[in-house]
Amino acid sequence: MKFNVTKEKLLEGLQQVQNVVSTRTTLPILSNVLLQAKGNEVHLTTTDLDVGVRGSFEANVEKEGATTLPARRLFTIIRELPSSEVQFEVDGKNAASIRSGQSFFKILGLPEEEFPPLPKFDNAKVITIRQKDLRDGLRKTSYAISTDETRYVLNGLLFSLKENKLTLVATDGRRLAMVDIELEFPRSHEADIIVPTKAVTELQRLLTDDGEVKVSVGSGQIAFDLNNTLLVSKLIEGNYPNYKQVIPSETKERVTLERETFLNSLRRVSLLASDKSNSIKLNFTKNNIDITANTPEVGEAKESLAVVYKGRDFSIAFNPEFFMAPLRNLTEDEVFLDLIDEMSPGVLKIATPFLYVLMPMRISS
Amino acid sequence: MDENHAQLWQKLSAALKPQVSPDTFKRWFSAVKLVKATDDAFTFRVPNNIYQFWIESNHMAALQAAIVTAFGAPRKVMFSSASEDVDGESLPEIPGKESARENSRDAKQSSNALGLNPRNSFESFVVGPNNEIAHAASLAVAQSPARTYNPLFIYGGVGLGKTHLMQSIGQYVGMKKKNAKVMYLSSELFINEFIDAIQHNNLVKFRKRYRQADLLLIDDIQFLGGKERSQEEFFHTFNTLFDGHKQIVLSSDRPPSEIANLEHRLVSRFEWGLTAELQPPDVETRMAILRKKAHTLGIKLRDETFDFLATRIRTNVRRLEGALMRVASFASLSGKELTNEVVEHLLKDILQEEARHAVTIEQIQRRVAEHYDVRLADMTSKRRPANIAFPRQIAMYLARELTKASLNEIGDAFGGRDHGTVLHACKLVKRRMQEQDNIRQTISFIDSALQR
Repeated sequence: MKFNVTKEKLLEGLQQVQNVVSTRTTLPILSNVLLQAKGNEVHLTTTDLDVGVRGSFEANVEKEGATTLPARRLFTIIRELPSSEVQFEVDGKNAASIRSGQSFFKILGLPEEEFPPLPKFDNAKVITIRQKDLRDGLRKTSYAISTDETRYVLNGLLFSLKENKLTLVATDGRRLAMVDIELEFPRSHEADIIVPTKAVTELQRLLTDDGEVKVSVGSGQIAFDLNNTLLVSKLIEGNYPNYKQVIPSETKERVTLERETFLNSLRRVSLLASDKSNSIKLNFTKNNIDITANTPEVGEAKESLAVVYKGRDFSIAFNPEFFMAPLRNLTEDEVFLDLIDEMSPGVLKIATPFLYVLMPMRISS
Repeated sequence: MDENHAQLWQKLSAALKPQVSPDTFKRWFSAVKLVKATDDAFTFRVPNNIYQFWIESNHMAALQAAIVTAFGAPRKVMFSSASEDVDGESLPEIPGKESARENSRDAKQSSNALGLNPRNSFESFVVGPNNEIAHAASLAVAQSPARTYNPLFIYGGVGLGKTHLMQSIGQYVGMKKKNAKVMYLSSELFINEFIDAIQHNNLVKFRKRYRQADLLLIDDIQFLGGKERSQEEFFHTFNTLFDGHKQIVLSSDRPPSEIANLEHRLVSRFEWGLTAELQPPDVETRMAILRKKAHTLGIKLRDETFDFLATRIRTNVRRLEGALMRVASFASLSGKELTNEVVEHLLKDILQEEARHAVTIEQIQRRVAEHYDVRLADMTSKRRPANIAFPRQIAMYLARELTKASLNEIGDAFGGRDHGTVLHACKLVKRRMQEQDNIRQTISFIDSALQR
């Protein structure tokens, strides 16, 4: 195998795939990236057996062939190369010679045959989504995915395909984020699947604002085809809990908040939320919210916010981090906060189909 | 839900209602059923797992507070989800379900074939502060093998429940997943089969047998120590299973780093997942164990007798159960009333054995002097070169840890030293134990030799 390429293209290609590389060292092949030169393209593939990514870059291929090389090492070498022209050559024993300007590197790889192939998707159900919609949906929900490994069905994002809607749901037991995306697909494609966190994170990195993504759902696995990049992942087995149970059926009070102003206030006040209780209190009075936090023996913070509010006076406490997470990931100027009472969950909404349910904390006073 | 449970639940809901908002109660607790109530735990049945997740995350404090209000003492709270039952994953104790009973019958058959004792199940395991972590970890592993802690390494002294926990995991998994290949064996059997395989030249078959397991449970792994070829074979088996996302559970009488002659790469792998220790049960837990055991065996004893057994037999659950059996059989055979004197006479030998654990300062001095090859007289002498002073400090430390003697008494026993000297010695030894592994090992070795 032999090809010439610019440093930028090679680096960009490696960046797309290198995050997936396994950190487990027991199977050395999994820390390698598979390089396949064919036509005027070089394909790159990495996998940790759960998630796999395949990308490519254009190159001037002089001799076709394939090999695998340690991904992290290759990436750090390419990043440091002095010249923008890179000459890549691999001999029959999988030793790669990299020449660029005055530099010469030789790194040893493993044969292509040892690399586990990505799963095939025959007879899979295929759905097409606009990349922008999916990217937006993932950003609005993925922060709420649980990291508690004992509840493994929650360690991923629910993709619920029903009634010409794709519903994305994430919850960790204290909060729940949900987005609906309008979508056309045949009834036979209706399904509930759970995509693991790692795949969601990688997918977010790969999605752009243009074009479409082709989603193929096979048995126990899913593939996202983004024109020149392919992400394949195992699905989490099991049934996602009935999340609808969590969403309050009716709420009593509603305030409209300017997202950024409110987020900034929360961020400032949360500086004095104690590590132990980690809560901030919202005191609602007529046309005003007082946001307060205090830590015994440290100090307290308070900020007032003028809002339109005509409901009854009451106080409710939330975990500031859980409250700020959706605000950070939304882009809308205005958000609506719906409340019932101090012991019932708060619901954050925007003009488009999005919902965030957040459990209050107990006020001890 | 039988009537008794319904009443309990009513009592509990009454206490719970003021704790949570009406909407919360209606939404989360109206569909909950109490299906099992014991002296120390409640099992609630919920329609599906979102109830469990949400109640655990948000309403646990309220629920526990309500339990204390209604019943005066905290209980362990467990959930079983009805939606899981539909998938054939039911817990065996849920009554009135034909499929559940069949399940447990199947499990019995298959577990017998595996060499698992059906009596060793999670239900019969008494949880106390001494074994909470190990129990929770085992349950997590059983419920979702290879997803949480892999490998799980359980260690602890004789008769504290290592085998019980491992067999519980094996049975739980065997029952829930019919197709899962569960393998339970002692490391001795592993070694023997390995030797046999070498002898008859069928290593391939041996490897295939173990490397196809979905769940591998190996008891008393410390016996691998010093067996190099077996270790190597086990190393490869371990890697194959681990990379294939299969659960591995190991037990030993000591932590991985203290198993003698165990290759470093194995030690580091054993420490990879979760290492959970089983400690001797405290008096309340011993009491709970006795009551549970008495209940399953249908033995009726007076509270006084339970109390006597629980306080006097401290170190070993197996011995505790043996004592219970002996007392119970004496009572039923002779028909005599069981006073503490009778029980004391009956358990003479066991109690003597227990009493031997009361270590004296003199024994400690002798043992330490012997270990460090210094004269016993040096323990009390005024000389203080490092090779004498440090063993002396270790002996003081052990005297502080193992006997009830005060600082002054210890000082006196070490040649009329000041209590401050003893305190200094204890602090110093503690610090050096944290800093240096070999010192910690030496001391724990002397410690266990003394307790024997």
